[in-house]
Amino acid sequence: MLNTSIKKTIVATTSLLCLLAGVNVAQAEGKPDIVGMSPQQLAEHLIFNSGSFKLDQAVQEGGVTRQRLEQDELQTACSVVGGGKADTNTAVKVMNMARDSIKLPEGGIKLGDWKIGRELAWSGFGFRVGHNNDDHSTAANGPGGNCYNCHQLATDRTGGNIGPALTGYGKARGSSEAILKYTYEVIYNPHAYFPCTHMPRIGANGILTNEQISHIMAYLFDPESPVNK
Amino acid sequence: MLKKILYIMPLLIGSGVANATDYEGMAPEEILQTLIDKTGSSYLGQSPQNLQMMPDNPAYWLVDEGEALFSEPRGPKQVSLEECDFGKGPGVLEGAYAELPRYFADVGKVMDLEARLVHCMTTLQGFDKQDAPVKTRHGSSSDFMKLQTYIAAQSNGIAWNPPMDHPMEKAMRDAGEVMFYRRSGPMDFSCQTCHGDTGKRIRASVLPNVNEPEEWTKAISWPSERAGQLNVRSSQHRLRGCLWQMRHPQIVGGSDASIALISYWTDAARGQPAILPDLKR
Repeated sequence: MLNTSIKKTIVATTSLLCLLAGVNVAQAEGKPDIVGMSPQQLAEHLIFNSGSFKLDQAVQEGGVTRQRLEQDELQTACSVVGGGKADTNTAVKVMNMARDSIKLPEGGIKLGDWKIGRELAWSGFGFRVGHNNDDHSTAANGPGGNCYNCHQLATDRTGGNIGPALTGYGKARGSSEAILKYTYEVIYNPHAYFPCTHMPRIGANGILTNEQISHIMAYLFDPESPVNK
Repeated sequence: MLKKILYIMPLLIGSGVANATDYEGMAPEEILQTLIDKTGSSYLGQSPQNLQMMPDNPAYWLVDEGEALFSEPRGPKQVSLEECDFGKGPGVLEGAYAELPRYFADVGKVMDLEARLVHCMTTLQGFDKQDAPVKTRHGSSSDFMKLQTYIAAQSNGIAWNPPMDHPMEKAMRDAGEVMFYRRSGPMDFSCQTCHGDTGKRIRASVLPNVNEPEEWTKAISWPSERAGQLNVRSSQHRLRGCLWQMRHPQIVGGSDASIALISYWTDAARGQPAILPDLKR
């Protein structure tokens, strides 16, 4: 009797959830109604409910791989099918969200060691999962910032061009408090200035620590850094 | 008036010739060279060395071995794959791969080449999914890659034309499109991060743009020898590699999400000639 009532509750709850998700209940209990779903609904179904991804693998930041496919508000806002730009309202919302996420380091922005920054800017392996997992827990300087994948920095190594070239960055801009703060914020969460940019939220998403960012900042600003030679 | 017509005559003739380019019968390297000449794409032209090596592509060994495997009675049922229907009738391979993924009524699902091959090996030939010929999907020495490379090579020069007549085909393609542009993970990446613009590079590698079909056809022309890996690789292997670089969870080979993404990316190359087997960096 008790079992039956629990079952009924579960069925009722499931049905309600399915209704809320816009999925036909009869179909949800048997085969999913692939044709009846919107492209967005089908995409979510395929990602989370079709056994298509290994969702239970541990990840470096703690937790499991499932969370890497769950979108936060900014990711949802910046996913535009067809690749068009986000509309103005979305862009403003994204900039505000990004602005709110930024935490400046206590005691002000300091420049670290450009030599460590150089290696962090070059390193691009951190946080990979699946068949060849990254373990950066024992790496001397942490997981790396992937900067060179998309940016040309110093000319002694080849960088990508998805982002703008940053060669001579400090030499061209000086190192006033304002430019240091701007640069730190762009690394921490670039959406505060460039809503829906391709660039990762290096600080806000916990890719690099404040200390690591200070080394990369030194690589950008130090007059001795190859970036400024 | 007559003068005007005379001016545009060469243009008309020129475009007529371009549209009528007959890629069927061309070798893969000739197709690629034609596309390079036509577009000047920095992605297509990034490796003159690879272009030079294409006539001696190691993938041709797999084509030959795959052909023998295809017609050989195998598995517990000791039958060949000649009864396997890849969409154009049992055993018909010419142009079949250029029209995948497609809906198969016998399973009520959209399948790509990999999923269809697994289906035929397990149902027709009676292999278990855990048997090595089905289970080992990657590497030039695997039966599976040999079969895929042989079957795909029968679509060389044929225009990609995945059918969109069945509602399931359209639904999977459209969901794949949503997934292509869907950002997530610690780096906020989607497929579009790397494949939405022309001439973009990750370090020194020029990336293909999904919006340029003449460029994109090379991007999706798998199986391809990967010079850097010394192995022939499949579409599913490329997809898995991209997701790994994006820091997304591993995708299951032949899964519905993988087929949706491959449906979208094949549709994006529609009308352009398949380059098979290809040779990539």
